[in-house]
Amino acid sequence: MESRLKTLLQVSVLVVGASVLAACGGGAGTERLPPNSLPPPVTYSGPAAQTADILNFQNAFWTNVRNGGVARCAGCHGTTQAPLFAREDDVNLAWAAADQLINRTDPTSSQIVQKMASGHNCWLGSNQAAIQACTTTLQTWVENWIAGTASGGTKTIQLVAPPIKNVGQSRNFPADSAGFAATVYPLVTEYCAGCHSSTSATQQSPFFADDDLESAYAAVKTKIDLDDPANSRLVLRLRNEFHNCWDNCSANAQEMEDAIQAYAGQIAVTSVDPALVISKALSMYDGTVASGGSRYEAGQVALWEFKEGSGTTAFDTSGVQPAINLTLSGDIAWVGGWGINIRSGRAQGSTTASRKLHDLITATGQYSIEAWAAPANVNQEEARIVTYSAGSTLRNFTLGQTLYSYDFYNRSSTSDANGAPLLQTLDDDEDAQATLQHVVLTYDPVAGRRIYVNGVYTEDADPATGGTLGDWDDTFALVLGNEPSGDRQWQGVLRLAAIHNRALTPVQVQQNFDAGVGEKFFLLFNVSAHTGTPNSYVLFEVSQFDSYSYLFNRPTFISLDPAWTPASPIPLKGLRIGLNGVVEPISQAYRNLDTAVSVANGYTAGVGQVLSSLGTVMPLEKGPDQDEFFLTFEVLGSSTNVVTEPAPLTPPPPVDSPPVSDIGVKTFDEINATMATITGVSPNQPAVKATFALVRQQLPAIVDMSAVLASHQVGIAQLAIEYCNALVEDNTLRTNFWGGFNFAAPPASAFDTAPERDSIFIPLLTRAMGTNLLSQPNEAAVRFELDNLTTDLASCGGSCAADRTKTIVKAACAATIGSAVTLVQ
Amino acid sequence: MEADVAGNRATDAALTAMDDSSFYSVTLKNFAAPWTNRDQSIFVPLNDYTATVIGMVRDDVPFNTLLSANLVYVGTGPGVPAYSPTSNDNYQALEDQNANLKTQLVAATQTATSGLPDSAAAGVMTTRAAAQAFFIAGTNRAMFRFTMLNHLCRDMEQVHDVSRAPDRIRQDVSRSPGGDSRLFLNGCIGCHSGMDPLAQAFAYYTFDPTQGRIQYTPGVVQPKYFNNDTTFQYGYRTPDDHWSNYWRAGPNAALGWDTQLAGSGVGARSMGQELANSTAFARCQVEKVFRNVCLRSPVDGTDRTQIDSMVSSFRSGGYRLKQVFAESAAYCMGE
Repeated sequence: MESRLKTLLQVSVLVVGASVLAACGGGAGTERLPPNSLPPPVTYSGPAAQTADILNFQNAFWTNVRNGGVARCAGCHGTTQAPLFAREDDVNLAWAAADQLINRTDPTSSQIVQKMASGHNCWLGSNQAAIQACTTTLQTWVENWIAGTASGGTKTIQLVAPPIKNVGQSRNFPADSAGFAATVYPLVTEYCAGCHSSTSATQQSPFFADDDLESAYAAVKTKIDLDDPANSRLVLRLRNEFHNCWDNCSANAQEMEDAIQAYAGQIAVTSVDPALVISKALSMYDGTVASGGSRYEAGQVALWEFKEGSGTTAFDTSGVQPAINLTLSGDIAWVGGWGINIRSGRAQGSTTASRKLHDLITATGQYSIEAWAAPANVNQEEARIVTYSAGSTLRNFTLGQTLYSYDFYNRSSTSDANGAPLLQTLDDDEDAQATLQHVVLTYDPVAGRRIYVNGVYTEDADPATGGTLGDWDDTFALVLGNEPSGDRQWQGVLRLAAIHNRALTPVQVQQNFDAGVGEKFFLLFNVSAHTGTPNSYVLFEVSQFDSYSYLFNRPTFISLDPAWTPASPIPLKGLRIGLNGVVEPISQAYRNLDTAVSVANGYTAGVGQVLSSLGTVMPLEKGPDQDEFFLTFEVLGSSTNVVTEPAPLTPPPPVDSPPVSDIGVKTFDEINATMATITGVSPNQPAVKATFALVRQQLPAIVDMSAVLASHQVGIAQLAIEYCNALVEDNTLRTNFWGGFNFAAPPASAFDTAPERDSIFIPLLTRAMGTNLLSQPNEAAVRFELDNLTTDLASCGGSCAADRTKTIVKAACAATIGSAVTLVQ
Repeated sequence: MEADVAGNRATDAALTAMDDSSFYSVTLKNFAAPWTNRDQSIFVPLNDYTATVIGMVRDDVPFNTLLSANLVYVGTGPGVPAYSPTSNDNYQALEDQNANLKTQLVAATQTATSGLPDSAAAGVMTTRAAAQAFFIAGTNRAMFRFTMLNHLCRDMEQVHDVSRAPDRIRQDVSRSPGGDSRLFLNGCIGCHSGMDPLAQAFAYYTFDPTQGRIQYTPGVVQPKYFNNDTTFQYGYRTPDDHWSNYWRAGPNAALGWDTQLAGSGVGARSMGQELANSTAFARCQVEKVFRNVCLRSPVDGTDRTQIDSMVSSFRSGGYRLKQVFAESAAYCMGE
């Protein structure tokens, strides 16, 4: 009985959907019938549709399956083989037959959709990708029929109790690091310790190659996958990302994988820790499908959801014929959870099929381009994401990326043939980011071009005025990821692309943003064993976020008994998500959750209680079909498992560094202050101040001796000369410094005796070098150099300038205070 | 001083040497200047951040209040304009005059000078210079990152820990950069899971470049906290300035958080106290002084023992940075 128990849950998207429906009600433009079918090949002459629903059926479904319709069902189900849902004689009778084949609350599970999913006469072919596309298209027709016109897609989610599964077994890390030490540790310490060690000069966490084994073991756990060694980060970094391989990446990765395999082989497969308070287990596909129902698709004329997952064709599943099926060429990979990753190349439709864009859009004079795109980087320029063009100079429309901006070209009566002038989002706004974004471009003759990113209008004004689209060329091709000419490569992930022949309103853009992208499931984790309440679950909205992770969102406690409410509060604390029998510490966004399930806290019968509005991404391990999730709790109901984190290990003492110099040079301000102190000249003396301002940033900024350059010395010399000049030219200062030395005497007589020279040198050396210091320059050596300098400068014969003596003193002064005598500290 | 050295009282000699005005006007000024700007340039004019550091050292203000005190040092003297919360003129004048910073700085409260409420003043983090450098534009994470870098001597990479709960990571952080969530799960999450709940303390601060002053909006989260909020709409949406230190557990517990403090709180002041009372903060100050005085980093066990000793005396002796300078000078004397 339990598995058959069902409840209806109006999820939050319904509110959005309903509000959109109301918003659309008054607008004639948005109530136009979707152009989702070709005209009937033969005029229908039977009885008219008797109800609105039958009319919807006729327009959205029957016209595609009847005689001449794209699905070609009428050959059997039109005349001879029951059910006769494609019969030609009476659309009311066809409706009666088809109505038995659909599930109005869950179109996915409709019998007719499931029949197609089983491979029953797909009109696109017999391979899996084609069957997927046929199924999606058929489901779209059913949804359009149910939804009627311009509905916006309100959808009721029907939660179904999943099968009861206990958490499976897996390998877990032992407490003892001996196995690691014998297998993987030698490898990482040999090749990775240059960075991934706390004692490395270029340390880079995580320190899984640390000198301390226990530290390394603690750090390596998130980098090893014991159940699938090849999936270990240690291996993937080498094999796929070529991260500092020591010789050959492939061989190195294999060596690492072998070591991990050897390690994993020593570890017995264990069951989940029995101390944990756990829910029942689920895989993603055990959940209830929750995707696609709330997109606004009334004017959608082309849609690529990239569900195929393999092959070289991305099918247009809009249901509007002819389908623009895209041929993938170049380095394009399918992305888990629906999408394509374009590294190089393009996805291109035929010009014949692409012509429907011309026909359907020029008929309305307006359109929208919609994409869920994750640019690989923000370095690419003039890169085309979605384009309907002939090359880099001729186009009808284009969505592109230039650095942090999105580009919008539109050809109209007010543009040139290349769609210029370009509308581009402001680069300072950085609207384009290297992350998954919902981008919508809309055009209509009145509002012109508008760009929306993640549901928000970017407010970039269209530089062109509105025009008509009569100049559009119907021979162009729709291409994703490049120009047809192949010279405007865009790199990134496309998870959905759609073309509408209507300019979506801001509300409709927001609706499609809110609808999200990719396949989503409602996962019901059974926790009845802990709450004492049958049919109690923690509900998560789960989707595959990208090829490497899942998105777990909005945990909700719910009982599938629609009348149940908690009689007393049920404590719930420390929720963690487990994967394949193990609870990893990474990305556990709900571990701080501390609440109780109660009416007072918001529990509503049949709807439940939202535990957290947050979402978190969890690493993907084996893929959505194999990965098994479960939940653990520190407290749930009467069950408790207190989680205490181990105390962090004390880092080992660092190894000794090579000896370094004990001396250094003075830096700029220190040099200035030193010279001012020695000479007695104020640093505010105008000439000195000006010179210091000039050379300040030329002087040493750091004390490291090895960083001293010739340019530093030039600056020091300039400043020293300026100080000495100020000192010698100031009568008071120089008298204080040198006493009665005769500066007016010519050099020949001023410096001709040792006492005269000493009267210059000794004050300089005394002030600059000091005395009785533990370490200082050899005074005799310094004096010897000054003596030589003075002798050389004094040798000017009879042609000495009048101020030669002053100049010589300045030189001796500058040589002293600008040398290592004062500069080294 | 010479007698002290001869008498084997090197620390006293060093303290005497610190009476020289150049210690304040040159050594300390250049010691603190790189902390006050993003480029970590030493060639920046004197500002209220630097002046406050100088004043706190001069007056032996416990240095563990550096990130929480309602304190700022302002310049005085002929030709020095009054402090302005909208300009650096006061300090620029001191710089231009080559002023004696030992005598021309006086203590004031940020409440009196900038108009910040007492509870909103958070030491040097809420000075005008810090705000101009780290609260301008962006997301206010810069204030946290540079405070960690300058005062705990750790950049984000060194506190990287992917095992913390990501429940406070804001909506602007892509969970799948370039369509590859491994980058988030192995990289981004390691810093943001700890940083974002701590940087939430700055939720009410910004720098207004038009007025040129710090802006504090009690009760109103700055719009910058909602930048790019559709990048990951399921992420954390900042409701207030409540902060939490997730790094008290896990490998970053080794930073030595003060067990007398709660590890969570409201506003920048208590968050500053959380940082400045950690062992890492004290050790960082000591290591910086050691490098400044000894012209090198500690290289061996002897140096590290000396560092440990100085950290111990720094913490037990009222967080007097002058004492650390003196002890460092005495240790490296004669090298």
